[in-house]
Amino acid sequence: MATSLIPDPFQMWREALTKLEGNANSIVTGSMDSQELMRSMHQLSALSLNMQQAFEKAIGGYLARVNLPSRKEVSELAAALQRVEDKLDRLLPDGAGPAAPRPPRTRRPPPEGAAPPAVEAGTPTPAKPARRTKSAASRGRRRS
Amino acid sequence: MAEAATKEKKEKPPEPVLAERLRLEVERAVQRSLKGVELFAAPPPTVGRTAKTVLHRRGTLSLYHYHATADEIYRVPLLFVMAPTNKAYILDLAPGQSLMEFLLARGYDVYMMDWDAPSDAERDLKIDDYVLDFIPDCLRRVQQDSGEHDVTLIGYCAGGMLSAIHVALLPDGPAKNLVCFTTPVDFSKMELFRSMADAKVFDVDKLVESVGIVPADLVRAGFDSLRPASRIAGQLRLWDNLWNDEFVKGFRMMERWGNETLPLPGGYFRQTVKELLRGNALFQGTLKIGGRKVELGNIKVPFLHVIAQYDHIVPPECAHPLVERVGSRDKEEVVLPGGHVSIAAGANAVKRMWPKLDSWLQGRST
Repeated sequence: MATSLIPDPFQMWREALTKLEGNANSIVTGSMDSQELMRSMHQLSALSLNMQQAFEKAIGGYLARVNLPSRKEVSELAAALQRVEDKLDRLLPDGAGPAAPRPPRTRRPPPEGAAPPAVEAGTPTPAKPARRTKSAASRGRRRS
Repeated sequence: MAEAATKEKKEKPPEPVLAERLRLEVERAVQRSLKGVELFAAPPPTVGRTAKTVLHRRGTLSLYHYHATADEIYRVPLLFVMAPTNKAYILDLAPGQSLMEFLLARGYDVYMMDWDAPSDAERDLKIDDYVLDFIPDCLRRVQQDSGEHDVTLIGYCAGGMLSAIHVALLPDGPAKNLVCFTTPVDFSKMELFRSMADAKVFDVDKLVESVGIVPADLVRAGFDSLRPASRIAGQLRLWDNLWNDEFVKGFRMMERWGNETLPLPGGYFRQTVKELLRGNALFQGTLKIGGRKVELGNIKVPFLHVIAQYDHIVPPECAHPLVERVGSRDKEEVVLPGGHVSIAAGANAVKRMWPKLDSWLQGRST
């Protein structure tokens, strides 16, 4: 798009969001040095876990009383059945005939100076290491 | 004067950029409304579509063999070791965005150690079990299935750490090459995780004894707390880009992967917190696995470490010491622009990391 003297409010909003995200992340992670904050966070998560456990225990007790399996038990049973099926698949002969022969393990690397590999998602450029020394670590960070 | 200004105004056509921009934004706003409704009803995105066979399942472990697509393959098979916190399909998101598909097309024979949620019976699994049981078991199965003695081990994040510990403890094993992606070694540089794991604020024994298996929500919250605003910002970006099908598809696949973070065996979690995060035992050389001290200098096989320059989970300074410590003569560290995940999956990985990995493996896979 051509450049304009009129600012693009949508682009400004996007840039502001990125900046706000970066700032909020820095502020919150910066405050994680505080032991009080970390202690509170752990207490909160412990409380939530205990409540969850108590709830699951109560539901589990109720299901056992009415002779019904819990979701977890059904999932475990399904996983066990899947394992049996996988093993049977490997043991029983394939109905479609003998397994396809595997390709020979004779591949050699392309000669030096050959064209770089073609990637389906686009033509790749050769890898460009940003740095191969420790100093790369001291650079600024950005989003992954 | 006013007349002149009116004349000038008449002569100058309305700015096309603004009109075009407004038209585009209106169009996008309409698309957002329509596609936003579709998004609510859409099933989870399909991932991990590259053809594969389950070679073995045991509790939390699954070993896959991807079906070769090349007419001729390299002699040495590749065995990937995924981090126990996450599903391996991050390396096989979709056609064209799959490292597995790329490596198969480049003539490699690829196997993958993937993880499922551990069962209650696996609550006491430790790093020892991953390093001295799961990895050797899979190596044996890969040898048996491929008919080759040599295997290249490739570990991602904690999977790289498990692989490196395995090779350090069993240097005469079948691992012919070792490749690590974003693998932590110096845990003193993981400052936020260390703050969270501080013994003064966090009783890991109490947690593990009460839950047995550390819930996925807790593991995910740990990762999220490194960038607490990013989840909300991500949702806002999703709304902004709802008109863009490619963006939405990519976002949903990554979101699904993040949401499917795995629970961890209590034993593994306790060891990670106490020995690695608090004691920094791997870096200090005091880590004992199976009663034996882990000395990274015992690693003598060709070694490649790919580090992400903007990694917020494993910062480069946390990963650098690995290449310094390993005893291999043939060793290389590459720092590529990208984050912890984008280094291995995504558009940048396609351009940078995958070709680098291929070029490094080629000569070492015959």
